[in-house]
Amino acid sequence: MALPSFAHGLARYALVAALAAVFALFAALAPGFLSGANLLSVLVNNFALLAIVAIAMTFAVSAGGIDLSVGTAVDFSSFAFVSLVLAGQPVALAALGGLAGGALVGLFNAVLIAGIGISPFLATLGTLFVGRSVQQLLTNGGNPVYLPPAGVPEAFRFLGHGALAGIPVPLIVTALVVAGAWVVLARTRFGRVALATGIQASVVRYSGLRLPRITAATYVLVSTIAAVVGLILTSTVTVYIPSSGNAFLLNAIGATFIGTTFDPHGRPNVPGTVLGVLLLGVVANGLLLSGLNFYWQQVGTGLLIFSVLAIGFANRKAAGRV
Amino acid sequence: MLVDAPYIPASVIEIEAQKAFETGKPGPAFGRQLATIALRGGALAVFIGVLVVFSVTAPFFLTVGNIGNVLGQSAIAGVLAIGLTIVIIAGGSNVVTGGIDLSLAANMGLSAAVYASLVQAGHGDGLAILGALGTGLAIGAVNAAAVTLAGIVPLLATLAVMNVVAGLELVLTQNTVVPASTDFLAALSAGGPFGIPVLAYILLGFTLVVAAIVQYTPLGLRLYAVGAFPDAARAAGLPVKSFVAGSFLASGLCGGLAGVLSVSYLSGSTTGAGDMLLPVVVTALLGTVFSRRLVPTITGTLLSALFVGFLINGFQLLNISSTLVSGVQGLLILLVVSATTLLGRKENA
Repeated sequence: MALPSFAHGLARYALVAALAAVFALFAALAPGFLSGANLLSVLVNNFALLAIVAIAMTFAVSAGGIDLSVGTAVDFSSFAFVSLVLAGQPVALAALGGLAGGALVGLFNAVLIAGIGISPFLATLGTLFVGRSVQQLLTNGGNPVYLPPAGVPEAFRFLGHGALAGIPVPLIVTALVVAGAWVVLARTRFGRVALATGIQASVVRYSGLRLPRITAATYVLVSTIAAVVGLILTSTVTVYIPSSGNAFLLNAIGATFIGTTFDPHGRPNVPGTVLGVLLLGVVANGLLLSGLNFYWQQVGTGLLIFSVLAIGFANRKAAGRV
Repeated sequence: MLVDAPYIPASVIEIEAQKAFETGKPGPAFGRQLATIALRGGALAVFIGVLVVFSVTAPFFLTVGNIGNVLGQSAIAGVLAIGLTIVIIAGGSNVVTGGIDLSLAANMGLSAAVYASLVQAGHGDGLAILGALGTGLAIGAVNAAAVTLAGIVPLLATLAVMNVVAGLELVLTQNTVVPASTDFLAALSAGGPFGIPVLAYILLGFTLVVAAIVQYTPLGLRLYAVGAFPDAARAAGLPVKSFVAGSFLASGLCGGLAGVLSVSYLSGSTTGAGDMLLPVVVTALLGTVFSRRLVPTITGTLLSALFVGFLINGFQLLNISSTLVSGVQGLLILLVVSATTLLGRKENA
């Protein structure tokens, strides 16, 4: 009995150890890595947006599914936001419109998954493709929608570039989303039921809970969280580029599943996901600073994800939990 | 044209029939069979309907030259989708925990880059082909080791491998186009007999060989058994892990072959191979509707690849924006999967 529990302890801390090792490595090798300005830039540029998308993904995976259309939700939110601001609507209203645009994607997924009963992978893959086509139709074949720099309202810039008490706004939003997601998943009835759905959906159904309703709510929530990224992204770069949100997809999946190695039962969890995103962000930034060829950075990141997954899964297998 | 593994379908239908007989309700099994036939017929009917509409409305659609072009243009995606189909057959159709290979498109990109770089460095086609196929096989071996030895879920293992491979391609090509033109490549991309491109013949020949192995040999039957009922396969003494590892090797090799084809088709290696990934996944998944039991088959995947190819081609001939194609692909997969899911539900009810 002693060995399995030792192995499972190892699996659990592989992620923390990897993060610490990578951090120490770059602190020693990459000049300027430890400076306050750089660490802040890691958080704002490499961490904040991906963390929100990965948290959304964590919800979907927790409930036993997956959402390949998180990028589509980001895009729809971004498109609605830019269009409404261009049309002269107040920024607050436009932001609400953006969130609604993202939620629309979730609603579509909810109908497919909870209503018809399609497997989440296929349903959201279909949504991804349909969403890409819709965006191209809306933008004359995929032209970016620019906001004229002169006409950008102050409140709009605040979301992407502003700061409160010296803390950049994107970081504050990320912290709120992470904290909110943690509270919902770990401390609320809805969170517990969603987790139960992921572990044993049939038990949820036999317990008399309305499984389709829970699943539908989960996917709408996932897309709405992803939509927050659309707002921040748009106000940072003041442009909407069709289908650009898909860039987050694979890293979000990677971070979520890297995070599962942090949980004793190998389940997706908010702290694990945050650590996973942090690991990806630190590696991306550290490789950049260490002067390594830009193209080797992707190889390095891939190898690192691979190693963490290999250690995590191998240990879990040793502990007899696969 | 439409074939499944010869034994499993029979036994499954027998079990269904027996179940229906024992419970005294002939309805569900028979109804499902009928509905399945209708759906498969429906998919074929849609395919034929689309062909008919295009041939009536687009003047050049139904010429031998055009059909050959579509076949040639579908060759790369078709070979990749067939590789993916092998992995899905051996891993089971649950896409999250079952078989999937996300590294295929990146594999094609790196193999093409290796080929073009070897040619640039002054080596012959023989070495370049070995290099490309070897690259593909090596990537397949890494996937196989990650899934069967380290025990990583295929979705994640191949995702990480995809990142590494895409990075290696960037390192090798510095994100530029590497031109390559040799007599062999020119011969591959040229027109063959009857004005049909050589690539079209390669696609058909490749499908024929793989379909023969997967659908008609004991090896292929075991591949289906390993994917559909791993526990039963293990109990029957089949080396499940070896089959799964073998499927990743095969799909890696398909990636290498697709790399060679793409170098010939594009006269070099280009960036952006990763964009092929999701269309290839959709093609492989969509292929199940063209099979008798709605399972992944090699011929079904070929039909699905051709279907997408004809859609793109017809839209181009009719001057309809090709941006609609991805939407049509998405809608198709949703329609198909909804229909299959609703059928399955009817059976359970």
